[in-house]
Amino acid sequence: MADDKDVLRDVWFGRIPACFTLSPEEITEREAEPYYLLLPRVSYLTLVTDKVKKHFLKVMKTEDVEEIWFEYEGSPLKWHYPTGVLFDLHASNTALPWNITVHFKNFPEHELLHCASNSVIEAHFMSCIKEADALKHKSQVINDMQKKDHKQLWMGLQNDKFDQFWAMNRKLMEYPTEEGGFRYIPFRIYQTMSERPFIQKLFRPVSPEGNPLTLGDLLKELFPAAICVEDEPKRYQVIIHGIEPLLETPIQWLSEHLSHPDNFLHISVIPAPSD
Amino acid sequence: MAGRRVECLWKRHVVEQLKQRDRVQRQAFEEIIHQYNRLLERSDLQAVFSERLQTDKYEQQNRHDLSPGVDGGRCDSLQQEMAQMRIKHQEELTELHKKRGELAQSVIELNNQIQHKDKEIQSNEAKMLEYQQQISHLEGECRELRNSLADLERANQTLKDEYDALQITFNALEEKLRKTTDDNQELVTRWMAEKAQEANKLNAENEKDSRRRQAKLQKELADAAKEPLPIEPDDDIEVLSEDAGKGTGETSPSRQPSRTPSKRTSQPLPPAGLLDSITNIFGRRRSVNSFGTSPETAEAPSMCTEVRVPSTALHIFDAHDGEVNAVRFSPGSRLLATGGMDRRVKLWEVISGHCEPKGALTGSNAGITSIEFDSAGSYLLAASNDFASRIWTVDDFRLRHTLTGHSGKVLSARFLLDNARIVSGSYDRTLKLWDLRSKVCMKTVFAGSSCNDIVCTEQCVMSGHFDKKVRFWDIRSESIVRELELLGRVTSLDLNQDRSELLACSRDDLVKIIDLRSNAVRQTFSAQGFKCGSDFTRVTFSPDGSYVAAGSADGVLYIWNVLTGKLDKTLDKGHSSAINSVSWSPSGAYVASVEKGSKAVLWSDM
Repeated sequence: MADDKDVLRDVWFGRIPACFTLSPEEITEREAEPYYLLLPRVSYLTLVTDKVKKHFLKVMKTEDVEEIWFEYEGSPLKWHYPTGVLFDLHASNTALPWNITVHFKNFPEHELLHCASNSVIEAHFMSCIKEADALKHKSQVINDMQKKDHKQLWMGLQNDKFDQFWAMNRKLMEYPTEEGGFRYIPFRIYQTMSERPFIQKLFRPVSPEGNPLTLGDLLKELFPAAICVEDEPKRYQVIIHGIEPLLETPIQWLSEHLSHPDNFLHISVIPAPSD
Repeated sequence: MAGRRVECLWKRHVVEQLKQRDRVQRQAFEEIIHQYNRLLERSDLQAVFSERLQTDKYEQQNRHDLSPGVDGGRCDSLQQEMAQMRIKHQEELTELHKKRGELAQSVIELNNQIQHKDKEIQSNEAKMLEYQQQISHLEGECRELRNSLADLERANQTLKDEYDALQITFNALEEKLRKTTDDNQELVTRWMAEKAQEANKLNAENEKDSRRRQAKLQKELADAAKEPLPIEPDDDIEVLSEDAGKGTGETSPSRQPSRTPSKRTSQPLPPAGLLDSITNIFGRRRSVNSFGTSPETAEAPSMCTEVRVPSTALHIFDAHDGEVNAVRFSPGSRLLATGGMDRRVKLWEVISGHCEPKGALTGSNAGITSIEFDSAGSYLLAASNDFASRIWTVDDFRLRHTLTGHSGKVLSARFLLDNARIVSGSYDRTLKLWDLRSKVCMKTVFAGSSCNDIVCTEQCVMSGHFDKKVRFWDIRSESIVRELELLGRVTSLDLNQDRSELLACSRDDLVKIIDLRSNAVRQTFSAQGFKCGSDFTRVTFSPDGSYVAAGSADGVLYIWNVLTGKLDKTLDKGHSSAINSVSWSPSGAYVASVEKGSKAVLWSDM
């Protein structure tokens, strides 16, 4: 459907305005101006912040520079979550642009992973894809693909090439018609206040009777608190890619169109704004 | 329908929501952020420029005094100039960098090439070294080979020279040999011719002589028929030769045929027998000379033409009344003399295998112990138990001489080779040498033991004794030269034809041949049944020395082959008692043996 293609394009080209400010703790030769950048929702922080790093390194002495890391309002940002997920989770209802603080020292070892080079990001990205395909097709599709195909997926993401990426990714979105959908839906539900990083369970997109299941069915099973009853005020917002889809939306359609490039459906559940 | 509417609902919712999100989040900020970043870049650039300009400005202020305003204006133009220069310099710098890069590249390449070439050079040098080594090695080998070649050539040359020299010597020697052989041939032919001449002369003279004698004989016969003359036994020995000539005149006709063999022998024989014939002629010469210069007509010893080992007894006859002690063939092989205990010596004529009694020689007073003919066959010497030796003429059976002097039985008496002396051995342990001309005993030697048998050579007398010794006496010095001890009492001695070997029979039943040159026992013959019958058992050589005949105590005649040393024949069909003596005819055809039991047997191989 023509709309569906547009949906895919809109999802891919989603951007978040961010303002990067150097942490006042850092020792600088002169005052550094903040750096503004439109971050791609679907990419990863460390992949797209080369210019940020270069900008701030101009004012810093090389001996003070360790690994760069980002933080928003005290909480270190995990680079291995897609940027969109981080924004939706942390700063969804705050004023734009998203103010991120850049640090160069005191890397929080216990909270963040090190990102030495792009190959680390690539490895993480590919492992997410494989995990997703394992849930969707018992890894058949991903294993049938050649190494250059995997590389194409990564290069597409790295260079922001929609067509290049989707040329390969559409294979991962196919399913045998008699099934009615994937074997299991690859998804993760993130919460701000939780010991667990995310919720990930096996969930079939089609009911045993053959009815396609919806987002509401998913939440009912795994996060019933997120579904609000008619009379009660909404307590939680269910955000995917910065929007709140209706609970009737079929989960299979969501997985096909609103997945991130890593083929996972990242769902952020945040407390609803009080006002 | 409712499903589709529902579907459209949520999808539309999603689409709208996305659009709104983008409006809010992206579009609102996109332009601003972009412009902001541009400004940021420009400000950075400006900051850099201003820094540079400030340093320049300070420099310029040191040199010139300029108004700040102009500075400002100049600042701008300078800034622009600076920018341009900077750009130009940067361009030049990049160009130079590029060139440097290229040069570095070419330098690297050239270095690589150089290294490569160096490696090649090294390998080539290594190869060259190798080759040089090889060359030197080969040169060395070549030199060695040349040296060895030169050595070989020299050796070859020396060998060739030696060979040539040897060849020359050989040729010379061949030449010499040829010449010598020719000379030898020539000499031999000449000598043969002379011999023939001499023989002819001799024959002629003999003829003449015989005719003369015949005439004389006839005359004497006529005279003798008229008056009987007494016969004296003791005659002058010196006259003997003439008497012998006379005495043998009766039998001269019978001797004619016997002379023919001598005539025959005087003819040149084939070269193989040349030497033999020559020695024989010499022997005859010697015997002829012993009788003076006059050629004698006595019976010449017949040549041994062929020795035949006897196999059968041709004639067994009674020879004597009683024991027969001695038997001897005459040198001509026609007569056989036997002597026995009946004091007589009987003469038998051997005609075609039979012995016809010819006559008897009397005069001895006791048994005859040994008989010998002289080398001419005209005299017979017999030793007797009556302590004397006697000599008869064979032809007329007349006793010529008696030699007395021994104090014991004379066991053996022999003519010396010159036929002028006699040596006799006796039981009285002495040997006596008699001179026939003076008829006296010239020498008596004390032997120390009873002498059983004697044989003589030219210089030497050998006697076998009772004390097992064989004594060798030198005739001229009349002293003992040597003694040889055997294992038993020596009963008999015999010499072979060329007097180089001595046959001795001893009481231990062994017959030995002693080589006279080495004086060692050369051979020993024995046989199982052979036993020496008495102290006087006589054994004999065959005429050519190739056989030995001995009689045994059991009456069997044993004949051994000297060459093989083995018993050749045992002849037992003949005698019935112990054999005392054996004689082999000089012709080699007959063997005669006599026994204790008065019989004599004539053996031959016919």
